[in-house]
Formats: sequence, structure tokens, C-alpha cells
Amino acid sequence: MSAGPDDVGLRIRGLRKWYGDTRALDGLDLDARPGEILGVAGPNGAGKSTLIKILAGETSADGGDIDLDGRAWDTGRDRDRVAVVHQEPQLFPNLTVAENLMVGREGTRAMVRGLDQAERSLLSDLAILEYADRPIDIVPLAIQQRVEIGRALARDARVFLFDEPNSALTQEESIDLFRRMHLLADAGNVVILVSHRIAELAEHADRVALILDGLCTAVLEGEARTQEGIAAGLVTGQAAREPEEQIVVHLGDDAATALRLDGWTHDRGEFTAIDLHIRAGEIVAIIGVEGSGARELVRSIAGFEHGRGRIEIAGRTGRSAIASATSLVSADRQTSLFTNLTIGDNMVSRLSREITVSGGALRFKRMHEIAHALREQFQVKAASIHLPIHSLSGGNQQKVAIAAAIVKRPRVLVLEEPTRGVDIGSKREIYRLMRAYASEGQAVVIYCTEVPEVFEAADLAYVVSDGRLSDALLVMNFADVEALARAVTRLERHSGSTVAAPAGVAGAA
Amino acid sequence: MSDNATAAPQAPMTASAPPGQPWSGRALAAGLRIGGLLIAILIVILIFTVLSKPNTFLTFSNALGVMRSMSTIAIVALGLTLVIVVGEIDLSFGYMYGLASILIGVAWIVWGWPIWAAIPLAFVAAAVLGSVNATLVTLLKIPSFIVTLGTGQLVFGTTLLVSNTATLNPAYPPVGKVVPEGEVDWFFGLSNQDLPFDIPAQAIWMLGVAVIIGFILSRSLFGFRLKAIGGNPAAAKLARLPIVKYKFAAFIISASLASLAALLDFAFIGSVQPNAGVSLTFPVFAAVIIGGASLAGGRGTAIGTISGALLLAIIANGLALLSAGSYLSNFVSGAVTIAAVVLDRFTQSLRK
Repeated sequence: MSAGPDDVGLRIRGLRKWYGDTRALDGLDLDARPGEILGVAGPNGAGKSTLIKILAGETSADGGDIDLDGRAWDTGRDRDRVAVVHQEPQLFPNLTVAENLMVGREGTRAMVRGLDQAERSLLSDLAILEYADRPIDIVPLAIQQRVEIGRALARDARVFLFDEPNSALTQEESIDLFRRMHLLADAGNVVILVSHRIAELAEHADRVALILDGLCTAVLEGEARTQEGIAAGLVTGQAAREPEEQIVVHLGDDAATALRLDGWTHDRGEFTAIDLHIRAGEIVAIIGVEGSGARELVRSIAGFEHGRGRIEIAGRTGRSAIASATSLVSADRQTSLFTNLTIGDNMVSRLSREITVSGGALRFKRMHEIAHALREQFQVKAASIHLPIHSLSGGNQQKVAIAAAIVKRPRVLVLEEPTRGVDIGSKREIYRLMRAYASEGQAVVIYCTEVPEVFEAADLAYVVSDGRLSDALLVMNFADVEALARAVTRLERHSGSTVAAPAGVAGAA
Repeated sequence: MSDNATAAPQAPMTASAPPGQPWSGRALAAGLRIGGLLIAILIVILIFTVLSKPNTFLTFSNALGVMRSMSTIAIVALGLTLVIVVGEIDLSFGYMYGLASILIGVAWIVWGWPIWAAIPLAFVAAAVLGSVNATLVTLLKIPSFIVTLGTGQLVFGTTLLVSNTATLNPAYPPVGKVVPEGEVDWFFGLSNQDLPFDIPAQAIWMLGVAVIIGFILSRSLFGFRLKAIGGNPAAAKLARLPIVKYKFAAFIISASLASLAALLDFAFIGSVQPNAGVSLTFPVFAAVIIGGASLAGGRGTAIGTISGALLLAIIANGLALLSAGSYLSNFVSGAVTIAAVVLDRFTQSLRK
């Protein structure tokens, strides 16, 4: 496919999308040219996933134009032009590789047909011909992704959207995937790579677009397209810590140990030999991209991933300690809230003795009082605690989820991406609540993918890379978020290395 | 961690807690659903009153008859409601009903056990079946539809084996067996007690069960958590709710109430046959669904289920009085069940 005068690629102008009161895309402009890999980077909630959903035809934009090769492209109707490859391929798990390639293009034939010549050579180009008769759900993820690419090539797709495609792949599989990305680009297709992995964007993308707050704020190319450039661009203008929010930690060396891990190793190897010591009163951020083991490490602290080794929480060890002394709020509100319950019921959903009399009957008045108190304390913007939970905005739903966990008074509060998909105002509130809880002498552990969140919310930060924990970064020693971002990026690159954390002990700002 | 470590927040407790406001968000939604169902019941009563011969349908004695005839389905359906609310399915209750009545009959009449030992045997069997169902569902993660489809047949086979496919009647024991007359009188009295106004004893049993299940679902921690688990199992797991324990309880209660209904029917009818209960599956599910429980879990009330059973019983009774033929009864109850779900979809789309 040669780049003729009409082959100008993908041109997005003024793309807008609202979810209720939340602005996901605010007039985004973006160009993706044929023959290049366009990298897209941005923090969670910046609008990346909305952009992907619109291009994939899963949702429609509220405004703006999308042109493909000079003609208007209705992504919702003309889905054959785009292929989306991510870590959960959209294939038919019950069909074979060959059937997945053919499905939807059987034509009018009533009989099941075999692969034709073109399809065989396509599979052979992708080096998956040998898998043709295997059911898709038993072949490795990397093969499934190639089938996804094959499906798209078979129907003459033009735009290839790679959404965090290699977070669950091995090193070799990743290298192969990037090689195929370059081949697709060289063939004149529009290739877009969305990733949190800054190193890979710097290495493979010809240009890198930065998306912040629903806008494309910069496109880095040439000299500017470095890891440091991308990392700094992502945090620019964000998280200027306000003076009254200045975090001051005065923990002496005698502060009680809230959590101690020794030789803590994941049972499926996502992280290995972690030693970690968290004191009461601290907010500790564990940073790491998807697949680094950071999320699994954080979940294992609350007992929702299995670890081997020694874990001690508030002086007790073993699974019973974990169960009674930790509370987890997952990143996904689909798994942290009960949609069939009211706001108030959700707030007290983890309580038992506190809301019952000895016979097991509920004390409605007490449930009521607790929910009202939590609504005040967490400033949940709800007209009534008796409304359904889905009547709240995402930020307020998240406050309810955190409130339900905090009211159990865990010694270690574990939060996964506590402000994902949350508006800026609610973010500040949630950070304040985390701080208030820590200052009551409890420990808070958060899993983060965003450096600004670490900068605003945490006292200490650790980076997990390839399942290894870095040395501690003392957040207050960094003058600005850019400096912290540079340090985090350095630690992510040199996995498990001993890159010196800024010297200093707690309280030595 | 000590007890007080899980106490609710103390300091902000004094914040504004408007007194007297009811804890009623979901109660309101459920109330609308029940209200609609009661209106449907009134309309059906009106239709049959107009269509039937005078003084046949809308009479006190016919109303008592309807109450008795609905009681079996209602008692079993109240148990099923708990299983549905926690997000599972039970297809084995009908066969449990059959096994319970046969176990009582065989142990009492053939093996010569005293009645006070034969009745607990039926409930032990219910506890075993409920535990087996829950074990396969929670520990082996097999879908409850398949588990109970299978255990239902295992139970039915057991029933046929134990009974030798014979019908049993304590008044006419097999040759060489004697059933003490006092026990027979006491047993029949369970469902044939002379009560004021000729109220059927089974209706009183039904109301008693309804009050208990109603308390469980709307006023107890057990019911609150059943709804949470059924509404979002993944969130329930992260919130560390006792999912396994509660599913055991739901399946055991469902099987036990099937046994109770079997016991009461045996006492009312006076005899048992092995295939009793096989035809319960549809009307019991229909009562639960018409009553507003969601097969997806997380939603269901005792009053809804009772009302569903009442509607079905009125339809069956009215059509019988019109001599409409039994096929018409099948048509109508099938259509009403589907209509109830269509109406559910409609009202839920309105609320969004």
C-alpha cells in the first residue's frame, strides 16, 4: 500500500466526550500518519481509554470530527477499518484459530469451509499456521494477539490500535509484537501504540502524543522523544502541591511497625523476595506498570493474591492476621461496590457486630447513624443515603467504597489506584481522607501508576519492576513532581537495581 | 485485632443523623413492585368474580381453599428465594420434597420407627442435600444449575429405591406392620387441626415460615449479606463477606423447607407416593420470579414470593371453577410468569 495523496491517515479534530458531569475528552486534536507508529501516553483518567473506545466503535463521541484518508469515518458503523489489540483479545474463545480468522466472512455458504489460500498465507506470515486447528482459549496470549491482527488484515483494516498490548507478554513475545507493529507501519497502515511503558514508547514510536485532561497537550518527536521528555511532559502543570497540603511526617524511629514482609514471594512468580517495612502513620505508594508485579504485591498484602514468605501485620503473622487487619479497595468500582444496595447500605456493608443485636437482627438506626456520619466525614455529595449507589458520580462512589473499608478500622488500609477515573476535586478529598486515616496511627498502602498521585498523596514510594522492589523514595525530598517522575522512571528502567534513592530520613526535609 | 478495633468511627458519630427517617431506599423500590403485584391480584380476582357462577369464586370457603392450595408452593418458594437472592439456582427442591415424604413414610410405616424419629430423618436428609449442593457450588465452583440438576436426579433415584416405588398410607400399613393409632392422629393433626373459622392449618404454617423468611431477608444481617453477595460476588469476596457459609445456609434452608412442605402435605393427604414433588419445579420458580426476585441475584422479598404464589393459586382455582381444562391453566401461568419479568425490565428501565 503506497501513500498516495489521499492517504493522509487518521485526522481527529475537536473530539469531545462527556460521561454525565465528567469531561473525558475536551476537544482533542490528533493526527496519525500512515507508515509511522504513533505513541500515546497519558495518566489514567486523562481520556486515553475514551479515545480508544471511540476509535474502536464501542462508544460514540459527543462532538468533533474523525477523518480517515480524507473521508469522514463513522467509527461506530464502520468498525472493519480498525483493529484493537490489547491484553484481552476480543476473539471467540470456543472457536479454533482458523475459525476465528474466518468468522463473519463466511459469505453465503451454508457449509463450513476450510481456509483458502490467502488465509493460509496470512496465518503463515504471522507464524501461527501450526495453531490453525487449536481452540483459541488454549493458545498463548501472544498467539491470540496475532490472530487478532490476522483477523484485521483479512478484512483490510487500516488502523491498528495497540492498547497496552504487551503487559502480560514475556520479553521475547513483546519483541516479536513490536516487530510486527513496525511491519504493519511499514506496509502503510496507521499504527497507534497506547502504553504506560515510557521506555517502549521512546524506543518504538516515531512520535509520542501526550494526553492530559482530555486534550493532546504535546506531540514529541525527534530529539524531544526521550524517556525523560515523555515522563516530564506527563506531569507538567500537574500536582503543584498547595502549601497547606504540604505533607509533614514526623515519625520517629520508634514508630510502631504496621506491616513487615520478609522474603515475600508470589506463588506464580509475579514478585520475588520482597522485604518491606511499613510503619504506622505512613502512606506508602507501590508504583509499577501493569505486569511489573506491583499490583499483585499490593493485593497480596490484603490476602487477595497468594504470597509465600513471612508477613507480619500489627504483631501477628499469617493469613488470619491479614484477614483481620487489612481492608482492600480495588481499582475497579465494579468489584468494590454493591450496585443493588443503597449508598448507606454500601457504607456499612463490611460491618457485622457493629450493626446487629446479638440475635442477628439489624440495628437500622445504628446503620443509619454510621452512614450519615460517614457521609459527613467523607463529604459524599448525595442528597440521601437511601439512593441507589449508581446515582453518585464516580468520585463520590469511590469515596463510598473507601469509607466502607475505613469504617472497619484496618491496621493496614490497602487501596488500588485510589483515584482512577475520579475528578480532580474528589481526588484532593480522597488524598485528604487517606492522610486523616494515616494520622490516626494506621498505615495506608496504595498501588499507583501515576507519579502525580504519589507526589501528592504518599510519604514513601517504592517502584516494582520485574517483580523486584526498589529502594525507598522519600517523596518530600523531591522539589517537584518532575524530579520524582525522573527518579521513578530511572528505577523502572534499571529493574531491581540499587539506584540510590535521595538520601535522607523521615522528617529531614 | 481486638473487638474495639473494628468499631465504627467514634468522633463524627455526633454529626447530623436526622432521627426518624426510615432506612427505606430499597424498601421503596420493592414496595412499588409488590404494590403492582397486589393490583394484578385484585384484577385477577375481579375477572374471576365476573366470569364465575355467583357464590362460587368470591366466597370465604373458596378463599380458605386457595390459601391451603398455595401453601405448599409458597413454603418451598420461600426457601428458594434465599438461594436466588444469594445468586444461585436450586432445581433439586422438588425431588427433596419427594424424598422427605417417602423417608417419613418408609421409616414410620415400614421400618416401624416412631414418628418423632421419622420426621427428623427427613430434615437430616435435607441438611445433607443442602450441604452437598453448597459444597459442589462453592468449593468445586460448579454452576448451581448443573449441580442441582444432577443432585435432583440422585435424590429422585434414592426416593424410588427407598420406597420400592410403592404408595404408603399409615392407615393401611403393609401386612405385618402396625402403626400406633395415637401417632397417626397426632401426625394428621399437623395439617388437619380444627382451627377457628376452618382456617387450614397449612396456611398458618405458611404464614409462620413467611414471617421468619421475611425477617431474615429484610431485617437480619444474614439477609443483608445474602443480598450483597448475590448482588456482587466479586465485591463480596473483597469485602470478606462469609460467602461459603451463607451459601451453605441458603441451600440447607431451601432443602429443609421443601421437607417441611412435604411433611405437611403428607399429613394433609394421608398418603405418600414417590413421584410427589416432581411437578413443583415450575410453580415454585414462577412464584419466586413473579414475586420480583432477580435470577441474577441480590433481589427478592418474602412478601413478593408469597404474593406470587397467591396469584398462581388464584389463577389455578379460578380456572378450575370455570371448568376451563388444565391446559389453559398452563397457558396462563406460563404467560403470567413471562409477563412479570417483562414488567420488571420495564419498571427498571424507568427508574434509570
